[in-house]
Amino acid sequence: MKLDELTKGLFKNNPVFYLVLGLCPLLAVSTSVDNAIGMSMGVLFVLAGSNVIISLLRHWIPPEVRIPCFIVVIASFVTIVDLFMHGYAPELHERLGIYVPLIVVNCIIFARAEAFASKKPVSASFLDGIGMSIGFMLAIVVIASCREILSTGKMIIFGYTLIPSFTQSPSVVMLLPPGAFLTIATIMALINYRHIRKERR
Amino acid sequence: MDNLLAIAIGAIFVNNFILFKFLGLCPFFGVSKKTSSALGMGVAVIFVMTCASAITWPIYTYLLIPFEIEFMRTIIFILVIAAFVQLVEMIIRKYQPSLYKALGIYLPLITTNCAVLGVALVNLNERYSLIGSVVNGFSAGIGFTFALLLMSGIRERLELADVPKSFRNLPIAFITAALLGLAFMAFSGMRL
Amino acid sequence: MNRLLRISIPLIIICIVSGVTLTASYSLTEERIKAVEERTITEALSSIFPGASFTKTDDYYTALAQGEEIGYVFITEGKGFSGTIKTMVGMYPNDTISRIYVISQTETPGLGTRIAEPEFTNQFMGKRIEDLRLRRDGGLIDAITGATISSHAITEAVRTGAEVARNETR
Repeated sequence: MKLDELTKGLFKNNPVFYLVLGLCPLLAVSTSVDNAIGMSMGVLFVLAGSNVIISLLRHWIPPEVRIPCFIVVIASFVTIVDLFMHGYAPELHERLGIYVPLIVVNCIIFARAEAFASKKPVSASFLDGIGMSIGFMLAIVVIASCREILSTGKMIIFGYTLIPSFTQSPSVVMLLPPGAFLTIATIMALINYRHIRKERR
Repeated sequence: MDNLLAIAIGAIFVNNFILFKFLGLCPFFGVSKKTSSALGMGVAVIFVMTCASAITWPIYTYLLIPFEIEFMRTIIFILVIAAFVQLVEMIIRKYQPSLYKALGIYLPLITTNCAVLGVALVNLNERYSLIGSVVNGFSAGIGFTFALLLMSGIRERLELADVPKSFRNLPIAFITAALLGLAFMAFSGMRL
Repeated sequence: MNRLLRISIPLIIICIVSGVTLTASYSLTEERIKAVEERTITEALSSIFPGASFTKTDDYYTALAQGEEIGYVFITEGKGFSGTIKTMVGMYPNDTISRIYVISQTETPGLGTRIAEPEFTNQFMGKRIEDLRLRRDGGLIDAITGATISSHAITEAVRTGAEVARNETR
Protein backbone atom coordinates (compact mmCIF):
# COMPACT_ATOMS: atom_id res chain seq x y z
CA MET A 1 0.00 0.00 0.00
CA LYS A 2 1.58 3.17 -1.11
CA LEU A 3 0.88 6.11 1.12
CA ASP A 4 1.61 8.31 -1.84
CA GLU A 5 -1.82 7.57 -3.20
CA LEU A 6 -3.26 9.07 -0.07
CA THR A 7 -1.14 12.18 0.17
CA LYS A 8 -1.18 13.18 -3.46
CA GLY A 9 -4.76 14.24 -3.16
CA LEU A 10 -3.87 16.73 -0.49
CA PHE A 11 -1.58 19.18 -2.21
CA LYS A 12 0.09 18.07 -5.39
CA ASN A 13 -3.09 16.90 -7.01
CA ASN A 14 -5.61 18.76 -4.93
CA PRO A 15 -8.88 18.13 -6.74
CA VAL A 16 -10.12 21.66 -6.33
CA PHE A 17 -7.12 23.84 -6.92
CA TYR A 18 -5.27 21.72 -9.43
CA LEU A 19 -7.80 19.60 -11.19
CA VAL A 20 -10.43 22.36 -10.85
CA LEU A 21 -13.17 19.90 -10.05
CA GLY A 22 -16.05 20.02 -7.66
CA LEU A 23 -16.63 23.74 -7.82
CA CYS A 24 -20.40 23.78 -7.47
CA PRO A 25 -20.73 22.37 -3.97
CA LEU A 26 -17.52 24.07 -2.93
CA LEU A 27 -18.80 27.58 -3.32
CA ALA A 28 -22.38 26.87 -2.39
CA VAL A 29 -21.73 25.12 0.88
CA SER A 30 -18.76 27.07 2.19
CA THR A 31 -20.86 29.62 4.04
CA SER A 32 -19.81 28.18 7.35
CA VAL A 33 -17.17 25.78 8.54
CA ASP A 34 -19.83 23.51 10.02
CA ASN A 35 -21.45 23.06 6.64
CA ALA A 36 -18.09 22.57 4.97
CA ILE A 37 -17.12 19.74 7.30
CA GLY A 38 -20.51 18.10 6.97
CA MET A 39 -20.38 18.20 3.21
CA SER A 40 -16.83 16.82 3.18
CA MET A 41 -17.91 13.86 5.25
CA GLY A 42 -20.62 13.13 2.74
CA VAL A 43 -18.19 13.43 -0.16
CA LEU A 44 -15.68 11.21 1.62
CA PHE A 45 -18.19 8.45 2.12
CA VAL A 46 -19.34 8.57 -1.49
CA LEU A 47 -15.90 8.92 -3.04
CA ALA A 48 -14.23 6.21 -0.99
CA GLY A 49 -17.19 3.90 -1.31
CA SER A 50 -17.69 4.28 -5.02
CA ASN A 51 -13.96 4.05 -5.71
CA VAL A 52 -13.80 0.77 -3.82
CA ILE A 53 -16.85 -0.77 -5.46
CA ILE A 54 -15.89 0.32 -8.94
CA SER A 55 -12.38 -0.96 -8.43
CA LEU A 56 -13.72 -4.29 -7.21
CA LEU A 57 -15.93 -4.59 -10.26
CA ARG A 58 -13.50 -3.17 -12.76
CA HIS A 59 -12.89 -6.42 -14.57
CA TRP A 60 -16.55 -7.16 -14.99
CA ILE A 61 -17.84 -3.85 -16.24
CA PRO A 62 -17.89 -3.77 -20.05
CA PRO A 63 -16.46 -0.50 -21.35
CA GLU A 64 -19.57 0.26 -23.38
CA VAL A 65 -21.78 0.53 -20.33
CA ARG A 66 -19.24 1.83 -17.88
CA ILE A 67 -20.78 5.29 -17.62
CA PRO A 68 -24.23 4.04 -16.58
CA CYS A 69 -22.58 1.58 -14.19
CA PHE A 70 -20.54 4.33 -12.56
CA ILE A 71 -23.64 6.47 -12.32
CA VAL A 72 -25.65 3.77 -10.61
CA VAL A 73 -22.91 3.02 -8.09
CA ILE A 74 -22.19 6.66 -7.28
CA ALA A 75 -25.87 7.60 -7.13
CA SER A 76 -26.56 4.71 -4.77
CA PHE A 77 -23.93 5.91 -2.34
CA VAL A 78 -25.25 9.44 -2.58
CA THR A 79 -28.78 8.32 -1.85
CA ILE A 80 -27.56 6.37 1.17
CA VAL A 81 -25.77 9.47 2.47
CA ASP A 82 -28.87 11.55 1.79
CA LEU A 83 -31.16 9.20 3.70
CA PHE A 84 -28.89 8.77 6.70
CA MET A 85 -28.13 12.45 6.93
CA HIS A 86 -31.82 13.24 6.85
CA GLY A 87 -32.46 10.82 9.67
CA TYR A 88 -29.44 11.38 11.87
CA ALA A 89 -28.28 14.93 11.17
CA PRO A 90 -31.43 16.77 10.11
CA GLU A 91 -30.13 20.31 10.67
CA LEU A 92 -27.09 19.65 8.50
CA HIS A 93 -29.30 18.03 5.90
CA GLU A 94 -31.54 21.05 5.78
CA ARG A 95 -28.65 23.51 5.55
CA LEU A 96 -26.99 21.59 2.74
CA GLY A 97 -30.27 21.24 0.88
CA ILE A 98 -30.13 20.10 -2.72
CA TYR A 99 -26.35 19.99 -2.65
CA VAL A 100 -26.49 16.57 -1.00
CA PRO A 101 -28.10 14.79 -3.95
CA LEU A 102 -25.92 16.93 -6.18
CA ILE A 103 -22.88 15.11 -4.84
CA VAL A 104 -23.68 12.59 -7.55
CA VAL A 105 -22.66 15.07 -10.22
CA ASN A 106 -19.66 16.25 -8.31
CA CYS A 107 -17.05 16.12 -11.02
CA ILE A 108 -14.44 14.85 -8.58
CA ILE A 109 -16.17 11.55 -7.94
CA PHE A 110 -16.88 10.83 -11.55
CA ALA A 111 -13.42 11.83 -12.70
CA ARG A 112 -11.74 9.57 -10.14
CA ALA A 113 -13.96 6.67 -11.06
CA GLU A 114 -13.12 7.04 -14.72
CA ALA A 115 -9.45 7.88 -14.44
CA PHE A 116 -8.42 5.80 -11.48
CA ALA A 117 -10.76 3.37 -9.80
CA SER A 118 -11.66 1.59 -13.00
CA LYS A 119 -8.03 0.79 -13.62
CA LYS A 120 -6.29 0.39 -10.33
CA PRO A 121 -6.55 -2.18 -7.52
CA VAL A 122 -8.86 -1.79 -4.59
CA SER A 123 -6.41 -0.65 -1.94
CA ALA A 124 -4.98 2.08 -4.16
CA SER A 125 -8.45 3.21 -5.17
CA PHE A 126 -9.55 3.35 -1.57
CA LEU A 127 -6.59 5.48 -0.57
CA ASP A 128 -7.08 7.68 -3.60
CA GLY A 129 -10.67 8.24 -2.63
CA ILE A 130 -9.76 9.15 0.93
CA GLY A 131 -6.91 11.38 -0.20
CA MET A 132 -8.98 13.28 -2.72
CA SER A 133 -11.77 13.75 -0.19
CA ILE A 134 -9.39 15.15 2.37
CA GLY A 135 -7.99 17.46 -0.30
CA PHE A 136 -11.50 18.61 -1.02
CA MET A 137 -12.14 19.08 2.67
CA LEU A 138 -9.02 21.18 3.03
CA ALA A 139 -10.11 23.41 0.19
CA ILE A 140 -13.67 23.84 1.33
CA VAL A 141 -12.76 24.40 4.98
CA VAL A 142 -10.20 27.05 4.07
CA ILE A 143 -12.73 28.88 1.94
CA ALA A 144 -15.45 28.48 4.53
CA SER A 145 -13.19 29.81 7.27
CA CYS A 146 -12.43 32.93 5.27
CA ARG A 147 -16.05 33.50 4.44
CA GLU A 148 -17.35 32.83 7.90
CA ILE A 149 -14.79 34.93 9.72
CA LEU A 150 -15.02 37.85 7.34
CA SER A 151 -18.79 37.85 7.20
CA THR A 152 -19.80 37.20 10.77
CA GLY A 153 -16.67 38.10 12.65
CA LYS A 154 -16.60 34.79 14.42
CA MET A 155 -16.24 31.09 13.84
CA ILE A 156 -18.52 28.54 15.39
CA ILE A 157 -17.88 24.85 14.95
CA PHE A 158 -20.33 22.33 16.39
CA GLY A 159 -21.43 24.90 18.92
CA TYR A 160 -17.95 25.85 20.12
CA THR A 161 -17.03 29.44 19.42
CA LEU A 162 -13.54 29.18 18.12
CA ILE A 163 -12.96 32.81 17.42
CA PRO A 164 -15.16 35.29 19.22
CA SER A 165 -16.61 38.36 17.53
CA PHE A 166 -13.95 40.88 16.84
CA THR A 167 -15.73 43.39 14.73
CA GLN A 168 -19.02 45.21 14.77
CA SER A 169 -19.46 45.55 11.05
CA PRO A 170 -18.48 42.38 9.29
CA SER A 171 -18.47 42.14 5.55
CA VAL A 172 -21.66 40.29 4.74
CA VAL A 173 -21.01 40.12 1.05
CA MET A 174 -18.60 37.27 1.74
CA LEU A 175 -21.53 35.03 2.49
CA LEU A 176 -23.21 35.86 -0.76
CA PRO A 177 -22.16 34.48 -4.14
CA PRO A 178 -19.78 37.30 -5.08
CA GLY A 179 -17.86 36.75 -1.88
CA ALA A 180 -17.43 33.09 -2.68
CA PHE A 181 -15.99 33.86 -6.07
CA LEU A 182 -13.68 36.48 -4.60
CA THR A 183 -12.34 34.09 -1.98
CA ILE A 184 -11.48 31.35 -4.39
CA ALA A 185 -9.99 33.87 -6.81
CA THR A 186 -7.66 35.14 -4.11
CA ILE A 187 -6.59 31.69 -3.00
CA MET A 188 -5.93 30.55 -6.54
CA ALA A 189 -3.96 33.71 -7.24
CA LEU A 190 -1.86 33.07 -4.16
CA ILE A 191 -1.14 29.53 -5.29
CA ASN A 192 -0.23 30.73 -8.76
CA TYR A 193 2.05 33.32 -7.23
CA ARG A 194 3.88 30.64 -5.24
CA HIS A 195 4.28 28.63 -8.40
CA ILE A 196 5.66 31.46 -10.41
CA ARG A 197 8.21 32.28 -7.76
CA LYS A 198 9.25 28.67 -7.55
CA GLU A 199 9.78 28.54 -11.28
CA ARG A 200 11.89 31.64 -11.26
CA ARG A 201 14.46 30.10 -8.99
CA MET B 1 -51.33 27.80 -10.37
CA ASP B 2 -47.76 28.89 -10.77
CA ASN B 3 -47.09 32.35 -12.01
CA LEU B 4 -45.17 31.43 -15.13
CA LEU B 5 -43.74 34.85 -15.76
CA ALA B 6 -42.47 35.03 -12.19
CA ILE B 7 -40.86 31.64 -12.57
CA ALA B 8 -39.19 32.67 -15.81
CA ILE B 9 -37.86 36.02 -14.59
CA GLY B 10 -36.84 34.38 -11.37
CA ALA B 11 -34.83 31.68 -13.07
CA ILE B 12 -33.12 34.03 -15.49
CA PHE B 13 -32.24 36.95 -13.25
CA VAL B 14 -33.11 36.65 -9.60
CA ASN B 15 -32.01 33.09 -9.00
CA ASN B 16 -29.56 32.79 -11.84
CA PHE B 17 -28.28 29.27 -11.76
CA ILE B 18 -24.63 30.13 -12.10
CA LEU B 19 -24.30 33.40 -10.28
CA PHE B 20 -26.68 32.68 -7.47
CA LYS B 21 -27.19 28.98 -7.05
CA PHE B 22 -23.66 27.94 -8.01
CA LEU B 23 -24.95 25.29 -10.36
CA GLY B 24 -23.17 24.64 -13.62
CA LEU B 25 -19.85 26.10 -12.65
CA CYS B 26 -17.52 23.52 -14.22
CA PRO B 27 -18.50 24.19 -17.82
CA PHE B 28 -18.89 27.84 -16.94
CA PHE B 29 -15.20 28.25 -16.36
CA GLY B 30 -14.11 25.65 -18.85
CA VAL B 31 -16.03 26.81 -21.87
CA SER B 32 -16.39 30.53 -21.44
CA LYS B 33 -13.17 31.58 -23.07
CA LYS B 34 -14.64 32.08 -26.50
CA THR B 35 -18.03 33.45 -27.30
CA SER B 36 -18.66 30.93 -30.06
CA SER B 37 -18.12 27.92 -27.83
CA ALA B 38 -20.09 29.62 -25.07
CA LEU B 39 -23.04 30.00 -27.39
CA GLY B 40 -22.83 26.38 -28.47
CA MET B 41 -22.73 25.20 -24.88
CA GLY B 42 -25.56 27.50 -23.96
CA VAL B 43 -27.89 26.22 -26.65
CA ALA B 44 -27.14 22.63 -25.74
CA VAL B 45 -27.79 23.38 -22.07
CA ILE B 46 -31.11 25.09 -22.75
CA PHE B 47 -32.24 22.14 -24.75
CA VAL B 48 -31.16 19.53 -22.20
CA MET B 49 -32.51 21.44 -19.20
CA THR B 50 -35.90 21.95 -20.78
CA CYS B 51 -36.23 18.33 -21.81
CA ALA B 52 -34.87 17.10 -18.50
CA SER B 53 -37.53 19.07 -16.66
CA ALA B 54 -40.20 17.77 -19.01
CA ILE B 55 -39.14 14.17 -18.58
CA THR B 56 -38.30 13.99 -14.90
CA TRP B 57 -41.49 15.62 -13.66
CA PRO B 58 -43.87 12.96 -15.02
CA ILE B 59 -41.54 10.22 -13.86
CA TYR B 60 -41.59 11.61 -10.33
CA THR B 61 -45.29 12.35 -10.25
CA TYR B 62 -46.64 9.26 -11.94
CA LEU B 63 -44.03 6.67 -11.11
CA LEU B 64 -42.09 7.46 -7.97
CA ILE B 65 -44.82 8.94 -5.79
CA PRO B 66 -47.48 6.28 -6.38
CA PHE B 67 -44.96 3.55 -5.60
CA GLU B 68 -43.60 5.53 -2.65
CA ILE B 69 -40.04 5.34 -3.82
CA GLU B 70 -39.30 9.05 -3.89
CA PHE B 71 -35.91 8.37 -2.38
CA MET B 72 -34.87 6.83 -5.69
CA ARG B 73 -35.21 10.13 -7.43
CA THR B 74 -31.51 11.01 -7.45
CA ILE B 75 -30.49 7.81 -9.11
CA ILE B 76 -33.40 7.61 -11.53
CA PHE B 77 -33.12 11.25 -12.57
CA ILE B 78 -29.43 11.09 -13.28
CA LEU B 79 -29.85 7.87 -15.25
CA VAL B 80 -32.68 9.33 -17.27
CA ILE B 81 -30.69 12.47 -17.98
CA ALA B 82 -27.63 10.48 -19.00
CA ALA B 83 -29.68 8.21 -21.24
CA PHE B 84 -31.44 11.16 -22.80
CA VAL B 85 -28.22 12.98 -23.55
CA GLN B 86 -26.73 9.83 -25.03
CA LEU B 87 -29.78 9.39 -27.22
CA VAL B 88 -29.71 12.98 -28.40
CA GLU B 89 -26.03 12.71 -29.17
CA MET B 90 -26.60 9.62 -31.28
CA ILE B 91 -29.48 11.19 -33.17
CA ILE B 92 -27.60 14.40 -33.89
CA ARG B 93 -24.51 12.54 -34.98
CA LYS B 94 -26.51 10.49 -37.43
CA TYR B 95 -28.87 13.03 -38.92
CA GLN B 96 -27.12 16.35 -38.59
CA PRO B 97 -23.36 15.84 -38.71
CA SER B 98 -22.72 19.57 -39.03
CA LEU B 99 -24.73 20.26 -35.91
CA TYR B 100 -22.85 17.50 -34.17
CA LYS B 101 -19.56 19.11 -35.01
CA ALA B 102 -20.72 22.36 -33.48
CA LEU B 103 -22.50 21.06 -30.41
CA GLY B 104 -21.77 17.40 -30.00
CA ILE B 105 -18.74 17.58 -27.78
CA TYR B 106 -20.61 19.57 -25.18
CA LEU B 107 -23.38 17.06 -24.71
CA PRO B 108 -21.50 14.49 -22.63
CA LEU B 109 -20.18 17.32 -20.48
CA ILE B 110 -23.72 18.33 -19.74
CA THR B 111 -24.62 14.99 -18.24
CA THR B 112 -22.50 15.59 -15.18
CA ASN B 113 -23.47 19.21 -15.10
CA CYS B 114 -24.88 20.13 -11.73
CA ALA B 115 -27.30 22.51 -13.40
CA VAL B 116 -29.33 19.85 -15.20
CA LEU B 117 -29.86 17.59 -12.22
CA GLY B 118 -30.15 20.72 -10.10
CA VAL B 119 -33.05 22.14 -12.07
CA ALA B 120 -34.88 18.80 -11.95
CA LEU B 121 -34.54 18.77 -8.17
CA VAL B 122 -35.51 22.43 -7.82
CA ASN B 123 -38.71 21.76 -9.77
CA LEU B 124 -39.60 19.17 -7.16
CA ASN B 125 -38.66 21.27 -4.15
CA GLU B 126 -40.68 24.22 -5.32
CA ARG B 127 -43.52 21.90 -6.26
CA TYR B 128 -44.09 23.35 -9.70
CA SER B 129 -46.63 21.89 -12.07
CA LEU B 130 -45.48 20.29 -15.31
CA ILE B 131 -45.74 23.54 -17.23
CA GLY B 132 -44.05 25.38 -14.40
CA SER B 133 -41.20 22.89 -14.39
CA VAL B 134 -40.68 23.13 -18.14
CA VAL B 135 -40.74 26.92 -18.00
CA ASN B 136 -38.31 26.82 -15.10
CA GLY B 137 -35.99 24.48 -16.96
CA PHE B 138 -36.09 26.59 -20.08
CA SER B 139 -35.58 29.86 -18.21
CA ALA B 140 -32.81 28.43 -16.09
CA GLY B 141 -31.08 27.42 -19.31
CA ILE B 142 -31.53 30.92 -20.67
CA GLY B 143 -30.14 32.39 -17.49
CA PHE B 144 -27.18 30.03 -17.70
CA THR B 145 -26.51 30.99 -21.31
CA PHE B 146 -26.92 34.66 -20.51
CA ALA B 147 -24.33 34.51 -17.74
CA LEU B 148 -22.08 32.38 -19.90
CA LEU B 149 -22.21 34.84 -22.79
CA LEU B 150 -21.53 37.78 -20.52
CA MET B 151 -18.59 35.90 -19.08
CA SER B 152 -17.10 34.90 -22.43
CA GLY B 153 -17.42 38.40 -23.81
CA ILE B 154 -15.50 39.76 -20.85
CA ARG B 155 -12.91 37.01 -20.91
CA GLU B 156 -12.20 37.56 -24.58
CA ARG B 157 -11.38 41.15 -23.77
CA LEU B 158 -9.34 40.11 -20.76
CA GLU B 159 -7.08 38.03 -22.96
CA LEU B 160 -5.82 41.27 -24.40
CA ALA B 161 -5.55 43.09 -21.12
CA ASP B 162 -2.52 43.22 -18.92
CA VAL B 163 -3.51 40.95 -16.08
CA PRO B 164 -1.02 40.32 -13.26
CA LYS B 165 0.65 36.97 -13.73
CA SER B 166 -0.79 35.29 -10.67
CA PHE B 167 -4.28 36.23 -11.67
CA ARG B 168 -4.21 35.00 -15.22
CA ASN B 169 -6.75 32.50 -16.44
CA LEU B 170 -8.80 31.24 -13.50
CA PRO B 171 -8.45 33.80 -10.70
CA ILE B 172 -9.42 36.71 -12.89
CA ALA B 173 -12.31 34.68 -14.23
CA PHE B 174 -13.56 34.17 -10.68
CA ILE B 175 -13.25 37.86 -9.93
CA THR B 176 -15.25 38.57 -13.06
CA ALA B 177 -17.87 36.16 -11.83
CA ALA B 178 -17.89 37.96 -8.49
CA LEU B 179 -18.56 41.27 -10.20
CA LEU B 180 -21.24 39.75 -12.41
CA GLY B 181 -22.81 38.23 -9.32
CA LEU B 182 -22.84 41.60 -7.59
CA ALA B 183 -24.52 43.12 -10.61
CA PHE B 184 -27.16 40.42 -10.69
CA MET B 185 -27.90 40.92 -7.03
CA ALA B 186 -29.61 44.10 -8.05
CA PHE B 187 -32.43 41.87 -9.27
CA SER B 188 -32.93 40.18 -5.97
CA GLY B 189 -35.61 42.50 -4.75
CA MET B 190 -37.88 41.99 -7.72
CA ARG B 191 -41.37 40.90 -6.92
CA LEU B 192 -43.95 39.98 -9.51
CA MET C 1 -27.99 -9.87 -29.73
CA ASN C 2 -25.52 -11.95 -27.81
CA ARG C 3 -23.22 -8.97 -27.43
CA LEU C 4 -26.05 -6.79 -26.25
CA LEU C 5 -26.83 -9.30 -23.55
CA ARG C 6 -23.21 -9.59 -22.56
CA ILE C 7 -22.83 -5.90 -21.97
CA SER C 8 -26.22 -5.38 -20.38
CA ILE C 9 -26.07 -8.11 -17.79
CA PRO C 10 -23.44 -6.51 -15.53
CA LEU C 11 -25.38 -3.25 -15.66
CA ILE C 12 -28.62 -4.99 -14.80
CA ILE C 13 -27.01 -6.82 -11.92
CA ILE C 14 -25.56 -3.59 -10.57
CA CYS C 15 -28.97 -1.95 -10.82
CA ILE C 16 -30.63 -4.77 -8.95
CA VAL C 17 -28.04 -4.77 -6.18
CA SER C 18 -28.28 -1.01 -5.91
CA GLY C 19 -32.05 -1.13 -5.79
CA VAL C 20 -31.97 -3.68 -3.00
CA THR C 21 -29.38 -1.74 -1.01
CA LEU C 22 -31.28 1.50 -1.33
CA THR C 23 -34.59 -0.02 -0.36
CA ALA C 24 -32.89 -1.52 2.68
CA SER C 25 -31.34 1.84 3.60
CA TYR C 26 -34.68 3.50 3.19
CA SER C 27 -36.45 1.09 5.48
CA LEU C 28 -33.69 1.58 8.02
CA THR C 29 -33.99 5.34 7.99
CA GLU C 30 -37.66 5.80 7.15
CA GLU C 31 -38.86 5.72 10.73
CA ARG C 32 -36.21 8.11 11.92
CA ILE C 33 -36.89 10.59 9.16
CA LYS C 34 -40.59 10.59 9.93
CA ALA C 35 -39.83 10.95 13.64
CA VAL C 36 -37.58 13.93 12.96
CA GLU C 37 -40.30 15.67 10.97
CA GLU C 38 -42.93 14.96 13.58
CA ARG C 39 -40.67 16.19 16.35
CA THR C 40 -40.25 19.53 14.58
CA ILE C 41 -43.99 19.96 14.34
CA THR C 42 -44.54 18.96 17.94
CA GLU C 43 -41.84 21.32 19.18
CA ALA C 44 -43.32 24.12 17.15
CA LEU C 45 -46.84 23.49 18.38
CA SER C 46 -45.82 23.37 22.01
CA SER C 47 -43.83 26.57 21.76
CA ILE C 48 -46.83 28.41 20.35
CA PHE C 49 -49.42 27.17 22.81
CA PRO C 50 -47.48 25.57 25.66
CA GLY C 51 -49.27 22.82 27.47
CA ALA C 52 -52.15 22.59 25.05
CA SER C 53 -53.33 19.56 23.17
CA PHE C 54 -53.99 19.73 19.48
CA THR C 55 -56.48 18.30 17.06
CA LYS C 56 -55.87 18.46 13.36
CA THR C 57 -58.57 19.58 10.95
CA ASP C 58 -57.59 19.71 7.27
CA ASP C 59 -55.20 22.59 7.02
CA TYR C 60 -54.89 23.72 10.57
CA TYR C 61 -54.64 22.60 14.18
CA THR C 62 -57.03 23.53 16.93
CA ALA C 63 -55.41 24.09 20.30
CA LEU C 64 -57.33 22.89 23.32
CA ALA C 65 -56.66 23.56 26.96
CA GLN C 66 -58.93 22.00 29.56
CA GLY C 67 -61.43 21.19 26.86
CA GLU C 68 -61.68 24.75 25.59
CA GLU C 69 -60.56 26.02 22.21
CA ILE C 70 -57.86 28.55 22.96
CA GLY C 71 -56.61 29.11 19.45
CA TYR C 72 -55.65 27.81 16.06
CA VAL C 73 -52.32 26.96 14.51
CA PHE C 74 -51.53 26.84 10.82
CA ILE C 75 -48.44 26.50 8.69
CA THR C 76 -47.71 29.05 6.04
CA GLU C 77 -45.04 29.11 3.37
CA GLY C 78 -43.51 31.99 1.48
CA LYS C 79 -40.70 32.49 -0.96
CA GLY C 80 -37.83 34.22 0.78
CA PHE C 81 -34.52 35.52 -0.46
CA SER C 82 -33.18 32.05 -1.17
CA GLY C 83 -35.79 29.37 -0.85
CA THR C 84 -39.03 28.74 0.96
CA ILE C 85 -39.65 29.95 4.48
CA LYS C 86 -41.99 27.68 6.41
CA THR C 87 -43.58 29.24 9.46
CA MET C 88 -46.02 27.96 12.03
CA VAL C 89 -48.43 30.62 13.24
CA GLY C 90 -50.66 30.59 16.27
CA MET C 91 -53.82 32.64 16.22
CA TYR C 92 -56.38 33.43 18.92
CA PRO C 93 -60.09 33.11 18.19
CA ASN C 94 -60.26 36.91 18.01
CA ASP C 95 -57.97 36.81 14.97
CA THR C 96 -54.89 38.21 16.64
CA ILE C 97 -51.58 36.42 16.40
CA SER C 98 -50.33 34.60 19.46
CA ARG C 99 -46.89 33.59 18.28
CA ILE C 100 -44.93 32.48 15.27
CA TYR C 101 -42.27 29.80 14.96
CA VAL C 102 -40.02 29.41 11.95
CA ILE C 103 -39.94 25.74 11.00
CA SER C 104 -37.55 25.89 8.09
CA GLN C 105 -35.71 28.48 6.07
CA THR C 106 -32.54 28.70 4.02
CA GLU C 107 -31.88 32.42 4.14
CA THR C 108 -28.52 34.10 4.32
CA PRO C 109 -26.79 33.04 7.53
CA GLY C 110 -26.35 35.92 9.92
CA LEU C 111 -28.83 38.09 8.09
CA GLY C 112 -31.96 36.49 6.78
CA THR C 113 -31.69 33.69 9.31
CA ARG C 114 -32.38 36.23 12.02
CA ILE C 115 -36.06 36.12 11.15
CA ALA C 116 -36.13 33.00 13.27
CA GLU C 117 -34.77 34.80 16.31
CA PRO C 118 -37.07 35.89 19.15
CA GLU C 119 -36.13 39.54 18.62
CA PHE C 120 -37.92 39.43 15.30
CA THR C 121 -40.61 36.83 15.92
CA ASN C 122 -41.79 38.37 19.19
CA GLN C 123 -42.99 41.35 17.19
CA PHE C 124 -45.85 39.26 15.87
CA MET C 125 -47.35 38.64 19.28
CA GLY C 126 -50.73 40.20 19.73
CA LYS C 127 -50.83 41.84 16.32
CA ARG C 128 -54.04 42.05 14.37
CA ILE C 129 -54.06 40.74 10.84
CA GLU C 130 -54.23 44.25 9.39
CA ASP C 131 -51.03 45.21 11.24
CA LEU C 132 -49.06 42.37 9.69
CA ARG C 133 -46.98 44.40 7.32
CA LEU C 134 -43.55 45.96 7.48
CA ARG C 135 -43.46 49.51 8.78
CA ARG C 136 -42.53 50.83 5.37
CA ASP C 137 -45.73 49.27 4.04
CA GLY C 138 -47.87 50.80 6.74
CA GLY C 139 -47.80 47.97 9.24
CA LEU C 140 -46.25 47.44 12.64
CA ILE C 141 -43.46 44.96 11.92
CA ASP C 142 -39.87 46.20 11.91
CA ALA C 143 -37.72 44.58 9.27
CA ILE C 144 -34.24 43.33 10.05
CA THR C 145 -31.62 45.75 8.77
CA GLY C 146 -29.96 44.23 5.74
CA ALA C 147 -32.56 41.50 5.45
CA THR C 148 -35.58 43.35 4.18
CA ILE C 149 -36.45 40.71 1.65
CA SER C 150 -36.48 37.90 4.17
CA SER C 151 -38.42 40.08 6.64
CA HIS C 152 -40.94 41.02 3.98
CA ALA C 153 -41.35 37.45 2.79
CA ILE C 154 -42.14 36.03 6.19
CA THR C 155 -44.45 38.90 7.10
CA GLU C 156 -46.41 38.43 3.89
CA ALA C 157 -46.60 34.69 4.44
CA VAL C 158 -47.90 35.11 7.97
CA ARG C 159 -50.49 37.65 6.93
CA THR C 160 -51.85 35.77 3.95
CA GLY C 161 -51.90 32.56 5.96
CA ALA C 162 -53.76 34.31 8.74
CA GLU C 163 -56.33 35.67 6.33
CA VAL C 164 -56.97 32.19 5.00
CA ALA C 165 -57.13 30.74 8.49
CA ARG C 166 -59.51 33.45 9.61
CA ASN C 167 -61.95 32.38 6.90
CA GLU C 168 -61.51 28.72 7.59
CA THR C 169 -62.06 28.95 11.31
CA ARG C 170 -65.22 31.01 11.22
